[in-house]
This record gives sequence, C-alpha cells and structure tokens, in this order.
Amino acid sequence: MSVVEKEKNNYKEEKIVTALSKKLNKKVNIQRKKRLWVSIEPKEIVDACSIAYDMGFEHLSTISVTDWIEKNNFEIAYHLWSYKEKMLLTIKARINRENPTISSVTSLWSKNAELCERECHEFYGVIFKGNINLTPLMLEDWDGPPPFRKDFDWRKYVQQEYYNESNPREDNYFEVKK
Amino acid sequence: MTEIEEKQGDFEMYFGPAHPGSGNFSVRVQLRGERVMKAVVDPGYLHRGFEKLMEYREPMQNSVLSDRICVLEPLQWNLLHAEAVDTLMGYDIPERAKYIRVILAELSRIQSHFIWYAVMSMGTGFTTGFNVAMGYRDYMLDVFDYITGGRLYPAGYICPGGVRKDLPEKAEKKILTLFEKIDYMHKFAKKENPAWLERFKEVGVLTKEEAIKLGATGPILRASGVASDVRRDDPYEIYDELEFEIPVLDEGDAYSRYLIAMQEIEESKKIVKQAIDRMPKGEVKTPNMKPIVHFRKAKGETYTRNELSRGEGAIYMIATGKKTPYRVKIRGPSFTHMIPILKHLLTDSYYADVPAIYWSLNQCPADVDR
Repeated sequence: MSVVEKEKNNYKEEKIVTALSKKLNKKVNIQRKKRLWVSIEPKEIVDACSIAYDMGFEHLSTISVTDWIEKNNFEIAYHLWSYKEKMLLTIKARINRENPTISSVTSLWSKNAELCERECHEFYGVIFKGNINLTPLMLEDWDGPPPFRKDFDWRKYVQQEYYNESNPREDNYFEVKK
Repeated sequence: MTEIEEKQGDFEMYFGPAHPGSGNFSVRVQLRGERVMKAVVDPGYLHRGFEKLMEYREPMQNSVLSDRICVLEPLQWNLLHAEAVDTLMGYDIPERAKYIRVILAELSRIQSHFIWYAVMSMGTGFTTGFNVAMGYRDYMLDVFDYITGGRLYPAGYICPGGVRKDLPEKAEKKILTLFEKIDYMHKFAKKENPAWLERFKEVGVLTKEEAIKLGATGPILRASGVASDVRRDDPYEIYDELEFEIPVLDEGDAYSRYLIAMQEIEESKKIVKQAIDRMPKGEVKTPNMKPIVHFRKAKGETYTRNELSRGEGAIYMIATGKKTPYRVKIRGPSFTHMIPILKHLLTDSYYADVPAIYWSLNQCPADVDR
C-alpha cells in the first residue's frame, strides 16, 4: 500500500472518530486500522448504540462479557460493524458484579440482540432489562452458578460431581499437575 | 412476541437431534396440517465450552483446540485463532506462510461448500448428489492429509507465528491436480436436476433488511443482496493483493444461496491458483518464536474477523500478561443463522420445505454451540 493510500485510510478513521466523539460526547479511540472503541456509562448504552446504529454501524457482530473479578465488575462489549464505513466499533460498559444489570438493546437488533443477551445471561448471569426471553440456551438442567464466571472452578466441580477420590481407578483425577 | 393460539388438532414434530437429516441440532416445529405455525430451536447438543477451556491453555495448545470448533472447516478456524494471537503478540508473519495459510483456507472453503451441496441433496432426497459431493471431497482430504498430517483435523497446522511445517515436496502439483476433481464436481452440480432444484426456488426468502437486522453474514447475506465479504472489507493475510469477485444475488431464497455457494467455489479456485503462482520461497515461521514468553509480554485485546465458508467468524481475545488468555469470545457464523434466522424462515412455511430451508443456511451445529 502506498503512503498516500495509508494517509487516506487514516483520514477516514479520524473523520468517523470526530463525528462519533461529538455525538456520543465521549472520547472515541483508534485501536488499530479499522478498529475503534469507546467506553461509556452503562445507563447510556441504548442511546450510544442507537447513535452508532444511525451512523451506519448496523451489524451487531456479537456481545461479549468479561469478568474482571479483581475490579469487581463485568465489562460488556458490543461489537458493531459498519457496512458503509467498513469499520468495527466496540462499545464498552462496566457494571457492578454484585448487581449485574444493564438495559437491553433488543429495540435495535430485535432477535439477534435477544439471542446474544440470552447467551451472556446464561454464562455470566448478567440481567438485561427489557429482554423478555432470557431462558436457558445451551445448558440443560443446569442449576449451578453461571459457569463462565472466573470464580467458578469447573475442574473442582467435575471432581466433586463425577469422581470419587477413594476409588483407586479414579484417584488420578485428583493429582494436581503444575 | 405474538404467540399463536393453539387449536385442537395442532401437533408438534421434532426435527433432530437424532434425525438423519438434521445434524446435532434440534428444531421443534408446531404444525397445523402441513403448515408450520411456530418453530422452537434447541441448541446445546455440542456445547463443549471452548471459551472457558481456552482460558486455561497456552496459545499453542489453543491452536490445536481451535480446529475442533467446527468439524466442517477446521483449517479456517485454525487460521482465525492464529491471527488473533499474532495480532496480540505483534508477530510479523513471513510472506510464504501467509500464502500457505490462504491456499489451505480456500481449499477448506471449497470442501466445505461440497459438504453444503452434499447435505442439501441428502436432506431433500437426492442421495446421488450426496455421494458424489462427499466422494470428490475425499480427494481434497487426501491433500490435507499430505500437507498437514490430518485428514479432517490439522491439529494446529496453522499456528501462531506462521505454519508448523513447510509444504512437502510436490504439494503444489497435488493441489493443481485437485482442480480437475473440483471441475468434475462443478460440472455435475451445473447439470441442473430441475425436479430437485425446484424445491429450493422461492422458498425461505430472506429480505435485505431482515438479513442485516437478524445478523446474517457470508453467503446468506450475499444471497440477500448485500455485497459484504470480510476478505474484501477487512482484508487479512494477502487477500488485498489477490483478484477475485464477490458473487451477490438479490432474490434471497434457498436457491440463490445454493447458487452463491457454487460461484464461490470458482472464486476460491481463482484465489488458490493466484497464490500458488505468486508464492515466494523462504521461511514459514517467525524467527525466534517463543509463544509463551511473547504471550506473557502481550497486553491488550483484539477483535479478529475472518470470512469462513459459512460467514463471519470472529475471536475476541484479551491478554493480561499471563501465559494463558484472560478471555476468549468466539463468534460462530451459524449462531445467528441457525437461531433467529431459521426461526424466522420456518414460521409460516410448509413442513416439506423445512429440510430445504434448514440446509440452505449451511449450518454447523458445532459452531452454534461451541
């Protein structure tokens, strides 16, 4: 790629960043080529998403949750792709781990958002206010804690649930390998 | 959500998970006579928790694990994982490795489209099509075996930092002889079987607006009139240097999805040909590669997208200076295709059209459940 083309591309990203920063009233950052991100307050999520949607970020690629257990919060990231600008915007919001509640974006992406939120609810226990269908998706008859949380040790769970340490055939599952 | 009131005489039918034409996936359809009133999708039969498993493993171990996300296109998932880790570690991949990666990913796309043809024919009673497509696919698996050492699973052949080994002797020649087989298969598919293909025409129509709203990607989105391809819009490896077309159709029905697949096979062939012609000589691995040491130094996150044969696949990976990633989120293309879109298309269709709609979405239950 020539130098002129590179400058052209950067110029395009900066143009979007300026417009988005102005509308969202937040600093939008460029992570690398074609990747932008912005951090917002959880209560602003629906407004921020609808501003992004109106600016062309129409495709909800996915919603992901990260469990920052040491900081006692969940980071919810909405990954949006724009077919027009050919760029990815990640909107991040942090919510308290004790009361993990955030508004749903089903008003914008209907069934697609409903499904992504259902998955996040099942694996992390995040409650999406306004989503009427947060029923279990993948796990059948699961009544334990949300399994993808950092404080859920699945190795310990499997040992307790399925193996018996006093059984000589199964005691090798209890050896800790370092 | 508007629920349809149940009437006397309505009944439920299970399509899967133990149905010969469903894969490890289940759809419960509520019928009134021949008409589907409601469809309830029930995933989870292949849930293995890859996202959590990857948090406990080092990048090279995860590379082997990444094949297993989808059994029908393991090389492309391998590539996607390797790219995510490369981005985090800041590896500059040698040119030759990039070409090998692209050749294998495109061959994997062709064989995956062969499976698409096979399952579409099997689901709708055209068993000859299934046998022919699976037979020709086997020639491709032989070449994968020759190059990577595994017929189905390459066991992390495309790994962070390049590829594990250089192409063996005469590999290029073997790939070029494969083209004859691909052409035979293509000829077979082109000799249209009108009675069979009639089943797909004007069935399961997905409009452009619905496709975008419900999160369609890849061939499904392109069959609904949106010219979007990650290889072109968000280029990775060497795709920006290659010449290829993006087939787009406007009808949005099952038949146009089938046509897109057939045209994509031709385009992938073009890509492989160009890549073989231009492939330079040299190293296939980043020099002084120490994945664990380098991964400990990598701090940050990446959202890496690839065009898989089913659509957009993505990995969101966060590294915090440990030898294992802190968080891995996997986005499989079939996740949106098989749940909201399938549900939308099945509602108010005929029961006889269920397999045609179901298979025209080119589903992979493994990447829905992960």
